[in-house]
Amino acid sequence: MTLLREFRRDIAIAVVAFLVLLAIGFGIDSPWPRDFLTSIFAFGLLAMSLNLLIGYTGLVSFGHAAFFAFGGYVFGLLLQWEGFTSALGGASVPLAFVAALIGTALYSLVIGAICVRLTEIYFAFLTLAFQMFLYSVILSWVSLTGGDQGLMGGIPRPPFLGIDLGDAHHRYAACALVFVVCVLIMRIVTESPFGYTLRMIRDNAQRAAFLGVNVTRVKLICFVVAGSIAGVGGVILALFTSGAYPEWAFWAQSGEAIFMIMLGGLNVFVGPLVGAVALRILNDVVQMYTSHTEIVIGLVILFVVLGLRRGLLDFARDWWVDRQQARLAAANREGEER
Amino acid sequence: MKTSDIRPRRRIDRRTVLKGAVGVAALGTGISGFPAYLKAAGKPIRVGMPTIMSGRVAILGESSVAAAQLQINRVNKAGGIDGRPLELVVRDSRGKPDEAARMTRDLVNNEGCDVILDAEASSASFAVNEVVRDIKKFCIHSNSETSSLTADPKNQVPWVFRSARQGIHDAVGGGLYAARVAKEKGLKRWATVSPDYAYGRANTEEFMEYVKIFAPEVEIIEQTWPKIFQPDYTENVTALLNAQPQAVYSCLWGGDLVAFTDQASLYGLFDQFEAFAVNLGDYPVITAIKSLPAGVHSGSRYHKDIPDTPENEAWYAEFMANSKVLPTNWSWENATAMDFIIAALKATGGDTDAEKMGKATAGMTIDSPFGAGGKLTMRDSDHTLVNYMVGYSKTISKDPYVVDFKQTDWADIYKHEEEWKKRNGYI
Repeated sequence: MTLLREFRRDIAIAVVAFLVLLAIGFGIDSPWPRDFLTSIFAFGLLAMSLNLLIGYTGLVSFGHAAFFAFGGYVFGLLLQWEGFTSALGGASVPLAFVAALIGTALYSLVIGAICVRLTEIYFAFLTLAFQMFLYSVILSWVSLTGGDQGLMGGIPRPPFLGIDLGDAHHRYAACALVFVVCVLIMRIVTESPFGYTLRMIRDNAQRAAFLGVNVTRVKLICFVVAGSIAGVGGVILALFTSGAYPEWAFWAQSGEAIFMIMLGGLNVFVGPLVGAVALRILNDVVQMYTSHTEIVIGLVILFVVLGLRRGLLDFARDWWVDRQQARLAAANREGEER
Repeated sequence: MKTSDIRPRRRIDRRTVLKGAVGVAALGTGISGFPAYLKAAGKPIRVGMPTIMSGRVAILGESSVAAAQLQINRVNKAGGIDGRPLELVVRDSRGKPDEAARMTRDLVNNEGCDVILDAEASSASFAVNEVVRDIKKFCIHSNSETSSLTADPKNQVPWVFRSARQGIHDAVGGGLYAARVAKEKGLKRWATVSPDYAYGRANTEEFMEYVKIFAPEVEIIEQTWPKIFQPDYTENVTALLNAQPQAVYSCLWGGDLVAFTDQASLYGLFDQFEAFAVNLGDYPVITAIKSLPAGVHSGSRYHKDIPDTPENEAWYAEFMANSKVLPTNWSWENATAMDFIIAALKATGGDTDAEKMGKATAGMTIDSPFGAGGKLTMRDSDHTLVNYMVGYSKTISKDPYVVDFKQTDWADIYKHEEEWKKRNGYI
């Protein structure tokens, strides 16, 4: 109940955001906004959950996409397993979702328990190593994962509680709900005392330890939360593409998530989400004119990094703060003159 | 847990609400207005083509687009489909499956494409297969040779077809040919050098399986698997030199095959055994190799003399006059895909409904410069192309580069293909 009261504003925003998303998806007579937003839900969760580690805890993970892929594969494999779907029928989709969530949480617990003891480059490289390990397993375990061809033959989605995820509208609404709930959870995590502990660890882990914070445990909890939410992103993408592919577990996917954070900004909560949207729109628009997308996207990122020196929302926030301060200073001067 | 003093809450006043409303309205217009300006006028029938236009495989994608465009220009010159012209919209997926899936949706949603010509390599074609199943658009896979794409019932979709070679067809043809050579020359000790990914492993396994079926005395003494796009093949060449095989099979392709052949030639590898390379016969490959070794057994890809008909010669000349790149195996496969799309549209009177086009295409036979006897058929039972040119030639060092084509009889292929399908539980 305290939680409800403390975060009533965030919960209200989440409800409004969900309604707006529904209005966009159902109100516009074109599949484009639904498809565009569904992929944003997936990649937005990947980038935002990674920012829990990078922006809030100061842990630069290069292997975050492993959890994204893990969630997608667990979800897809369970639903492709005939024994599972025939035994559980309608309950199989929600149960596969829960299993993917718990599976990814356990997987990130194991990886996190090993990685969070390290810092900086050592942490980055170890997460990268675990990601490439998962990638190799997916590629070589052909009988289970389909190797480099990914999960073939589509993912069956038996209807449950009147929801048929094979239907584009139902799928969109379900993905939007899952997305909004995950974002709300991340918001609560970052704005709770736990979230401020994360910031303290980011700024000075030693001081946090002296204040009695169990740094490793806090980092590990954050790592598991971030990994699990990335896994949910993978589930959304698996639903959307009706498959799962080893590229999701490749290091370039983690790199793209870091790009999104850099582009959108890491000090504003929704920065990574804005980055995901910007990168996707940029990609789509550039694709219409040239096949040299990477050059153009590279140039834009160079501009953001060298020109703005921070992400779009960070830049906007700094600009806003500067303006406010200038106004205050001007008001003060006026007061003095009088 | 008391956190209210950590974060001071601002009261939401009228101005904030107004600002928020303006923001939401702007976002809404942005999102809903975006597709409108992306959309083009609806008159022509648009064919969406996700393919690979960048990286080391780009030349194959370019040769695919050139071929598809050639067939479109022809039909448009003749008045289109009941007066409606065809239009090709190409997207570069960089060969990534999730990108290909997204591009395909994008082609349908934003570009208003009614038909998909999926010119992706194997892994991405499986992704496109699921998308077109989901959004119900008529689709022809034009490049993926992986047999299971159409042979495995779980991948079959009523409105999806394949106009490419199929691994199993080439394996039977190659196996029959190689076994004959093995018997003639007494080649018992075989080695393989193929790319280390699904296509490379499956193709090599199928080929050697059939060599052994037709020539049981054959044994495999060495298998070496270079990574895809590997720059240096010394370790693989050394492995082959150490094993001393009498014959070597390879399904390396594109730039990898060029690099491997050039490097292996330095060691005089091709003088030491009989070589069989299924993908050597492609024009860009065979012309890029610095010193093409003579007498290598090369699988049929695309060649102006295979089949040796005036129609094929004419198509080659027209392609060369309109393309910046040389024709490849992907070229004839995409020209064929477009021919079937055009034939299906003519049959439905320009109706792009997936089920109607699917019904029209299943079992359809068309006249084609690439078919055995001038005909190609889209088999009804598994929606895959049959009666194209399967067989092996031998290389010579100058134009026409391959000679002495030995064509495999389709009756043999059908017989062994059916057994293979039964073995795999597909029928």
